[in-house]
This record gives sequence, structure tokens and C-alpha cells, in this order.
Amino acid sequence: MTLSRRTFFKLTGAATISGLVASVPWVGAHPTKAAPNRDALHVLNRATWGATPQDIALIEQIGIGAWLDGQLDWQNIPDPLIDAHLYFYPFLLGTPTEVEAVVAADYGRGEHGFLWSRLYRAANSSRQLYERAVEFWTDHFNIPSPDLLTMKIVDDNTVIRPHALGRFVDLLRASATSPAMLMYLDNAGSYADHPNENYARELMELHTLGVDGGYIEKDVKEVSRILTGWTLNWDAGWPAPYIFNPDLHDWGQKTVLGHVFPEGRGEEEGMELLEFLAAHPSTARFISAKLIRFLVADQPPDALIDSTADVFIRSGGHIPSMLRHIFLSGEFYEHVGTKFRRPTDLLVAMLRALRPGMRLEDSDWLIWELEPLGHTPYRWFPPNGYPHHSMAWINTGALLARWNLAFTMARTDEGWYDGIRFDPDQMCPDATTAGEWVDQAADAILHAPLADSERQWLVDLIGEDMGESRPLDDELRLNRSSTLYGLLMSSPYFQWM
Amino acid sequence: MLNRRDLLKSFGMGVVGVSPALFPRWIPKLAFASSTTPARVQTNGGRDVLVNIFLRGGMDGLNTVVPFGEGALYYDKRPTLAIPEPSTKPLTAIDLDGYFGLHPALMPLKDIWDADALTIVHAAGSIDPTRSHFDAMEYMERGTPGSKTTPSGWINRHLQSTAWQNDSPFRALGMGAMLQSSLRGAVSTLALKSIAAFHLGGRDDQLEAIQAAIAGVYAIQAPQDLLQREAAQVYAAMGMLNGIDPDAYTPENGAEYPDTDFGNGLKQIAMLIKADLGLEVACVDLGGWDTHEGQGGAEGWHADLLTELGAGLGAFYADLQSWMADVTVVTMSEFGRRLEENASAGTDHGHGNVMFVMGGGARSQLYADWIGLAPDLLDDGDLAVTTDYRDILSEIMLARLGNDKITQVFPDYAPNIRGIFTPRA
Repeated sequence: MTLSRRTFFKLTGAATISGLVASVPWVGAHPTKAAPNRDALHVLNRATWGATPQDIALIEQIGIGAWLDGQLDWQNIPDPLIDAHLYFYPFLLGTPTEVEAVVAADYGRGEHGFLWSRLYRAANSSRQLYERAVEFWTDHFNIPSPDLLTMKIVDDNTVIRPHALGRFVDLLRASATSPAMLMYLDNAGSYADHPNENYARELMELHTLGVDGGYIEKDVKEVSRILTGWTLNWDAGWPAPYIFNPDLHDWGQKTVLGHVFPEGRGEEEGMELLEFLAAHPSTARFISAKLIRFLVADQPPDALIDSTADVFIRSGGHIPSMLRHIFLSGEFYEHVGTKFRRPTDLLVAMLRALRPGMRLEDSDWLIWELEPLGHTPYRWFPPNGYPHHSMAWINTGALLARWNLAFTMARTDEGWYDGIRFDPDQMCPDATTAGEWVDQAADAILHAPLADSERQWLVDLIGEDMGESRPLDDELRLNRSSTLYGLLMSSPYFQWM
Repeated sequence: MLNRRDLLKSFGMGVVGVSPALFPRWIPKLAFASSTTPARVQTNGGRDVLVNIFLRGGMDGLNTVVPFGEGALYYDKRPTLAIPEPSTKPLTAIDLDGYFGLHPALMPLKDIWDADALTIVHAAGSIDPTRSHFDAMEYMERGTPGSKTTPSGWINRHLQSTAWQNDSPFRALGMGAMLQSSLRGAVSTLALKSIAAFHLGGRDDQLEAIQAAIAGVYAIQAPQDLLQREAAQVYAAMGMLNGIDPDAYTPENGAEYPDTDFGNGLKQIAMLIKADLGLEVACVDLGGWDTHEGQGGAEGWHADLLTELGAGLGAFYADLQSWMADVTVVTMSEFGRRLEENASAGTDHGHGNVMFVMGGGARSQLYADWIGLAPDLLDDGDLAVTTDYRDILSEIMLARLGNDKITQVFPDYAPNIRGIFTPRA
């Protein structure tokens, strides 16, 4: 007698996802909840790319509020590792012409530098909250790089990075005049006789008001008319800079969401439109909800959206004020361990967790580890950006790939890959027995104690027949390091933050 | 009563990836049913397996299925690239019906044509005019020309609308590292780089212990939450794949797959079909079709790609001979290429293109709402799209995949069903 396939799967408990979408994604007790410095750890999980013992100690010393203030004052945080890093990729900070010179000479080198820098900065910048904000706004104002590499590098440097912790309206204005954005969403080719609605639509749907923000199709048409003439100056050569071309502009009167834009105005009416959209209550709610989904919970709590939107309006769209409000809200502390780490979050968290032994120079291999996970930087092609909702990232193939990433990362001690080498002897140097090693490893990677049953799995694995007290000698370290660290980083606890 | 240490040891025994406690010993290693097995059990409760091949880069349909009957309207526009009319000479078009012919590199498809199992659709594609690769691919795969913010792909919506009791982790597969957009969505689909690679990493000498530890910490025997259920799926999939040894697989009927990502992808899909694992849909890509310069005619860049495509499809057809009545293969490309060759002996992005449909209910015919290549009938110099690709996919869903919820798959679209395919009995 053979079992039918259906019964076979019932035995293993596997089930179709469609029946599970409504169920609670996480029921386990995340170790952070049990940590003595729970609140500090929770803040670091969300406001950085991975908690470090140094940051935990700092928050213990000065408190969450002061730590946040320090991080929000990002320009005054010295960032020596990144300064050294950028010394090797000066074009990333260069003028459009300088960027294009590198890209035109060697596209691969340009792309590698841009993508590698994203990972390196996330892993090693002292300006962690700033780099989280850069990630958020990169997704929000999404532009894929393959077709537009030079312009996207410039966009990263002149739109996203200067304003990620600034005022929303400044960010919006920079984005609306970004050659990369004008090319990507076709506004560069929009003119009075034939307006292109693509950017106009996404400006409202994705960048400001949100799809339920109250605009109608007619508003999209009117906005596209306002933005006619926002194009590129092709006479200036490649890469072409932004220019307002009055010959392409529709000079008639427009009405958007009841707001009248009188006839006879050029670029100024577009600027007025951007300020109007940036100050709109729907924008306040939409941006607040997105920030909260990114930082707090997949289902943003309504009360927190309300209060954050309030801060948005009162502060004139001041992003640091909103972040401060979110991180100090009561709701923030009710959602510990509930956000699923996106693949890049996971990879960078691994780099930070293994920091004591991690020698990171330049690793092309590491970037492309993100491809099977679907999170290669700047390769999301629709304008809505890589999703922030946990459910978007949980699937069968991805889970296996995440486990394998954990082991591969831990096994970079074997020297297989150029530019990255993990020296496991630098981790948990004080441990003398299997039991101590497991505890110190869990502390180093999860910053919190494991539940008894899970701890026992690892102790059995390391200690074998001798158990807890098995002496930790060089040979055991050599044999079991990658397995122990790999298991901790592939555990459910490390998948959630 | 087993203590934890003994349980751990017991997990380590037996076949790698399969714990005796999870997969009872008597489940046999999966054997391949051969074509001599009588009364093979139909997969999927009487529905075809769909194999979707995406030709990325914009395949030049006009040199793939050559409208030689158009005479000067074709030949004058392609002085160096055109494929010569059918004749006894080599490197000429393979005649299909006196008007259209196959590129000479597609001889394997001629065999399938002669076996009455190949439908060719010409002047097909997406009605959206974009000539951007990325936009066109997104529109096509999401099934919503003009919109790339649709969160799911058309195949995922097909799976959502046909959620019959198929719990297999192999219900929908994308061969390759990156999941195809058409597969993205609420239904769990599997991106499979290769069967051989679908296993846990970690040091070989500790692999079994690692597998046991992960199985334990994710509680896959009694999963409580979504992540744990996904983990259980991974183990189920690993266990099922464990019985398949790709290196020991011998394709039937002398089929020889090209040793490329595309060929190996097709071969593995064939293996998985034969292994009866509940596969409903598989996607595989063949890229490199963006022949802007030096495209070549009967020989060269484009011809080499067609050689790979033809060899792959031919091998697949031969290997799956007795299964083909329950398999439908469909190819598509984001757009075709311009009629007129450019100054670099290549072609630029165009519009109307060719779709191949093989197996299942496909009878050998060339279907096209063909309006010809007269300049005033071209779409801005390109072959116009006269058959929306969604019509073809809708009819495949209705006739072969048991899905009549077309509006759920292609929202805001009413397909024109042309009766091209033979419905399943």
C-alpha cells in the first residue's frame, strides 16, 4: 500500500500557503524578548543593520533617546571605515561626467563598485540609522540600475543620500528633477501635445499620496500636464542633466485635487505641485504608514500612523522627527522580533554578527549571493521598490537559500572566496567548554539567551557524548565553528528581527 | 523513551535529507516510470503540465518563422540577414505551408511539426507599445500590459484560481536562480537552480547533524507558524528530490539535451514530470536574443540560439514522448524585432513575434491573423501584433489546464478564444 501524495504531505504538515496567509506569521518566543536589555536590543534590531555589543553597551550607558539623537545627527558622526572604503571608489561621489567615465570604460567595474558599496556601507558605517533611511528611500523612490547605471549612481548621491534624514519635500524635489527618475518613468519624453502619464501617476500613487490618497484619473492627467517640459538637456551631452524646457510645456490652467494652477506658469507650477503633494494629509499618512511598516510591524498600528502623520504635518515633513517619534512610541516596543529580515538585512546582519572575525575587503561573490534570494541591490524593476512586508520574502526556495547563506558565510573561514575571510578563532575567545561556547556564541550572534530546548540541540551537537563540559580545544573549534555559527544564523531567531 | 541525544542520532541515520521519523522507511526511492509502464497515472487530476519558456532579449520572429511568401516586402528590408526561400540547397528556410518556413536551425521543430504536435502563432505579443526590455518583460509576465505594479505574475494567479488539493512543494517551479516574475505571488513557488543543488550546505562531515538540528529548531514535525511550515516544505522537497539522481538519468528515445542552462533546465523538468511529484507549472528561460548587431542570417548569433532552442525542444519532446499528451509547452518573448535590418547588420526592438506551442492539444498548424508586411500595415515599421498573447494563454488554460477563471488571471481583459487547441477529453 502506498500513501497518496496528499496524505504524505499531511504527515509532514506541509500545506498550501494560500490557506496560511491569514495566520500569524510568528508565534515563537524571540530571544530578544528574554534579553535583559530587551528595549535596547529591539531598537538596534530595527534602527541598525544588526546589533553589536558596542552599540548595546552604548545605549545602556546613555539611553535610547540620546543614542537616537546621536544617530540622527548623522553628518557629525565620524565614519572612518567608510571614508577609507570610498577612497577606492571615488567615482561614487563624483560628478555625472566622472561617474560616466568609469561606467563607459568598464560597466562591470562601475556596477560592482556601486553594489558593493551598498553592502559595505550597510555593514560598516557608523551612521547606521542613516544607512537604514537610505535603504528605505531607495526602495520608496525606486530606480533599477541596469539600464541607467550612471544616472542611478548620481541619483543615489544627489537625491537619496543628502535628504534621507532631511525634509521629505526636499527629497521629493530632488527626485522629481533627477535625470534617472525622469528617464525611468518616462517624464523626460513628456510634452504638451503628448503628455506621458507614467511619472505623474507614480508621483502620486507611490511617492506621495498613495493609491487611496484621494486622487482620480483626471488628476493624473492634470499632473502630467503640469510636469510637461521637465526633461533632460540633451545638448549638454551624456549624461544629460535636468532642464525645464518651456517649449515642451503645457502652459494652460490645471486643477489637481481641487487646487487650481493658473495658466501661464512654467517650472514654478511644478514646484508648487510638489510642495502641495508633500504637505498633503494623505502623504503624511502614506509616508508614515510605510515608515512604520519598515521599522515596526507589517500591519502598521492605526494609532501610530495617526500620531506619526501628525508629526509629519507639524514638522513640515521632517524625517528625523518622525523617526524619533516612532522609535520612542509605546507601539514600537510592542512588536519585538516580528519583522522578517529581508535577504540583504540578513546578509548584512550576518556580517555584523561575525564582526570580530570578519575580514571584508571586496567581494563580488557576496553581492551575487543575493540573486537567488531575489534581493540584488537596484534590481527591482517595477517602481514600487522591493517590498517591506515580511510575507513577500517567505517562500520555500528562499528559506533553503537563507540557510545555505548562513553556512557559506560561516565557512568563509576556509578561504574559498576572494575578498572575504572569516577567522572563527576571534569569536568567543573566552569559552573553555562546549556549554560555554554555545552560550557565548548565542550571545555574540543573537545577543540574547536561547530557549532551553534549542540550547540543548546545540550543546548536544558540539558536546556530543561528553555534553556541556566537553573541553573546547583548537581541534573542536576547527571542526565545529562553521557549524555552530551557521546554525545560529540559520535559526528562526536570526530570520526575524 | 528516547532522550534527545538518541533522537538526534536517529535523525542522522538513513538517507541524507530524509529522517526515518519523518518519512517512513517504506516510501520507496522514486523510480522513473518508463514509457513501457502501462496505464501511467495521470498527473494533476487530468490537467496538462504547463512548461513556459521565456526567450529573453526579444527574439527575432521574422527570421525564426520566415514569411518568405511576402517576397520583396521581406527580402528588400533584410539584404544581408534574410533567410533564403526553401530549396534543396542547405541553409535555406524549411517549408511549412508554401508561405512560411522555419529557420534552417530549427530542423528538430520540423520533426515535431511532422508529428502533428507543433502550433506556431505569428504576429503575436503584447499590445503595449513599450520597447523597453524590462518594462515589456514585466508587463508580459504580470499579464497586465501597461502596468508593472501588478503584484503577482499571471502564472501565480492561475495557480491561485485553481487551488485544487495540490500540496506538493513542486507544484510550480522556476528553473534558475531568480524566480521568474510570472511565478511571483501568494502561492508558494520554488526557484530551483538545479536538483543537485537543492540541499543543505555546511560541512559534509556534519551534514546529517546539521539537517537534524535545523529540522529540530524549526519544529518541522509539528510546525506552528508560517516559517516552520515553509521549513517543513523544504524538507519535504529535499526528501523527494533525494530520490532523483540527475547524473544517472538517461533520456528516452535517444534524446540529447544541449549541455546549457536551458537544456539542463528542460532535462530536469522532464525528470520531475516523470517522477510524478505534483508538478503543474515549470518555467525556464533562454536569454541572449537581443541581436542589435551582427545578428547573422542562416548562420550566426541568432541561428546559434535557434539551434539551442530547437535542440532543447526536440530533446524534450523525444524524452517525454508518452507524456506529451499531458504536457503543453509554450514559448514567448517580450517583443519581436524590426523588419528592416539596421546599419550594424542587426535588428532593433520590434513588436509582433512568434509563439511556439508544443504537445498536449497542439496540432501542427501555423495560426496568424496575418496582415502582411506592406509598409502601411506595419506598426511604425514593426510587425504589428494581431494576436494578443493572452488569447493564446487563455485558451491553453481553458482547453488544457482546467481553468476557466480567466478574468482572475488576466484582469480587465476579455480574451478572444480562437479554437486553436484541442481540449482535453
